[in-house]
Amino acid sequence: MDANRLSQGQLVSAIAALALFIISFLPWFGVSGAVTVGGTTIGGSTNFSLWEAENPLDIYLLIVILVALAPAVLALIGDGADAPMAAMATALLAGVGTLLILYQVFDTPGGADRKIGLFLGLIACAGIAVGGYLTMQETSGGERY
Amino acid sequence: MTGRLSQGQLIAAFGAVVLLVAMFLPWIGVSGPSLPSGVTLPPGVSSAAGSSSENIWKGSTLDIYLLITVVVAALPALLALTDSAEEFSFVSAATFLLGVVAVILIAAFLTVDFPDGAERKVGAFIGVAAAAVIAFGGYRAMQEEVAGEI
Repeated sequence: MDANRLSQGQLVSAIAALALFIISFLPWFGVSGAVTVGGTTIGGSTNFSLWEAENPLDIYLLIVILVALAPAVLALIGDGADAPMAAMATALLAGVGTLLILYQVFDTPGGADRKIGLFLGLIACAGIAVGGYLTMQETSGGERY
Repeated sequence: MTGRLSQGQLIAAFGAVVLLVAMFLPWIGVSGPSLPSGVTLPPGVSSAAGSSSENIWKGSTLDIYLLITVVVAALPALLALTDSAEEFSFVSAATFLLGVVAVILIAAFLTVDFPDGAERKVGAFIGVAAAAVIAFGGYRAMQEEVAGEI
């Protein structure tokens, strides 16, 4: 395995995709509440990772991670397979994913609290999109998409 | 006007219109328990029994994703309507890709992500079919572009 086989864009996409996968297990949303009974206040809070929140975003971001990792994995194992749409697919899907996470930042499900995973996920997904865009530019050599 | 569009682009645009309409149809139905036969309610008391349905707009990020798919799929047709001279090569691939992912997301919504105890309504099935039509249209448009280059 030789990491030099990866272009700069593929490397950026792959690292950001791995980061997004790890981040998906951190808390993304939180719900907290308090009840006062007889002058005593009892409070509690629960956090939800991307996978625990009832939201199709988890499946979508899993697709983004797989699409971003596939060219890097193929290049590392020296398959030599040409995937002309891979860079465009990575940039497009991660770009849309970034918009979807951004939407969740402003409109959390059920008015839940925003947690660290949501913001880190936003950065990681944007990183995948940038990596995909760089790969597009590297492979096209200035050719217009 | 539509003469400038390829067959694939027309199919994708048709799928986009159908998907947009389907998004306003009921996707999720919830039925309440009905009263046993013979039970009469006193005057002024209403029963909560009955059913209600919701479209996709009150759901999750799926609505935003499907809206993006509709816009991208309809883009060549919209540009043709405004007589804009634009190349569609990127858009055809994007339409195919977004359509395929839309089919996966709606299928996942109908199976693993569907709310417990709720019913699947007609809008969801029309939506998944329309997303498949968009994906097919995008694929067809890509093939037509390749054939045109040879």
